Amino acid sequence: MTETSPEILPVEDAPLAPPAAEAAEGYQVRLDVFEGPLDLLLFLIRKKKIDIHDIPIAAITRDYLGYLDRKTEINLDREAEFVFIAALLIYIKSQMLLPRETDLAEHEDPRRVLVDRLLEYSRVKAACSLLREREDVQILQWKRDFIPPLHGESELEPVELSLFDLAESFFLMMKRREADDTRIIRGRDVSTEVKMKELVTLLHERSVIDFLEYFESHASLEEALVSFFCILELVKSRVAVAVQDELFKTIRVWLRKDARRTAAHD
Amino acid sequence: MTDDLKALVESLIFVSQEPVSLERLQAVLEGVPAADIQAAVDELVAGYGAGERGIHIIRAGGGWIFSTKPGHDREVRRLLQIERKNRLSSAGLETLAVIAYRQPVTQSEISAVRGVDSTGSLKTLLDKKLIKIVGRKKAPGNPLVYRTSEEFLLYLGLDSLEGLPSETEIAKILEEEKAVEA
Repeated sequence: MTETSPEILPVEDAPLAPPAAEAAEGYQVRLDVFEGPLDLLLFLIRKKKIDIHDIPIAAITRDYLGYLDRKTEINLDREAEFVFIAALLIYIKSQMLLPRETDLAEHEDPRRVLVDRLLEYSRVKAACSLLREREDVQILQWKRDFIPPLHGESELEPVELSLFDLAESFFLMMKRREADDTRIIRGRDVSTEVKMKELVTLLHERSVIDFLEYFESHASLEEALVSFFCILELVKSRVAVAVQDELFKTIRVWLRKDARRTAAHD
Repeated sequence: MTDDLKALVESLIFVSQEPVSLERLQAVLEGVPAADIQAAVDELVAGYGAGERGIHIIRAGGGWIFSTKPGHDREVRRLLQIERKNRLSSAGLETLAVIAYRQPVTQSEISAVRGVDSTGSLKTLLDKKLIKIVGRKKAPGNPLVYRTSEEFLLYLGLDSLEGLPSETEIAKILEEEKAVEA
């Protein structure tokens, strides 16, 4: 940032104030107190009492870059987000400097994109302050669900399996199958979508399925593979739970309670 | 309405760990008119709301649920030996707010509104079960689609999504902020 800004900023209509000048004004804000670049921009706009619909892009860009310069340690991902908005600001300024034959209509204002985003974001922030008030009251009220149930229906305290455990079981099973059945199987087209639906229906009906048994019932390797990926997907997207009671035992799969409820509602 | 019904409804709400809706109560209390059940609930709510009780019945997530009153938080925590309940981080709350208002919504849509990558916050919210994945969007990359969960309503004490702060309330906050600056 520090190296590039002098090259870009000569397009600005005012000389670039050194970042230190702002520190001298008597406030010092660290970049990491802002939720992101939009938060920082809103802060700057408010501080300067600027009308959000008529932002002096040059001045705000200068302030904004001043803050970036002051960064001490922020991680690269975050920095990229801040730099992205800096680039947007400079792009907007460049658009505004382009000579035009006729005056721009309001909806053609190059600042429009930014203003819309800022307004949207400020609404989110306002909603957050209201939601925070609710949270603060609710958090003090204890419900009975806090006390863990003695006998949960199914989701006791089982060890949830990682996808790798599932994969291992699967390959174990495929090996077993390979050993006792070496016929060449003609592929039937199985789509993940169809299989996924089939699997969810089955889970609904039976509530619990036996992982190995389920795969053994498949006619072709392809179909078994497809179902395997479906299960992985369901577990990954937290729709289903896979549980192994003991090492080397079979793995049981069921729908998460909330997923079952949602599905029942649909 | 009889006192029996009131007592019955009370125990049903008490045993349930999630909000009990009028429909659920009706299904259990076969043949009892909804108006009677509603009247029983209303009386219970009013009774518990009175000063001398430590617990009350709140309306959240489309039903009724018992909870302790806010003023007893410190002692309850002492009993349960819990330091404090953590509020959501600002990033988490922001992400949650975007999902609540924009749902169903994808990660990139959320990040676009916030101007910040939201992957980490999404994971936290999923772990807390405040949001859920409802499927994939038919768009390049088939991104996951998020919605708020039932727990979300309970967490913020909202009866339904309709109870989220309205445009007017939000506009009022923004006006107030402006007024402070001026």
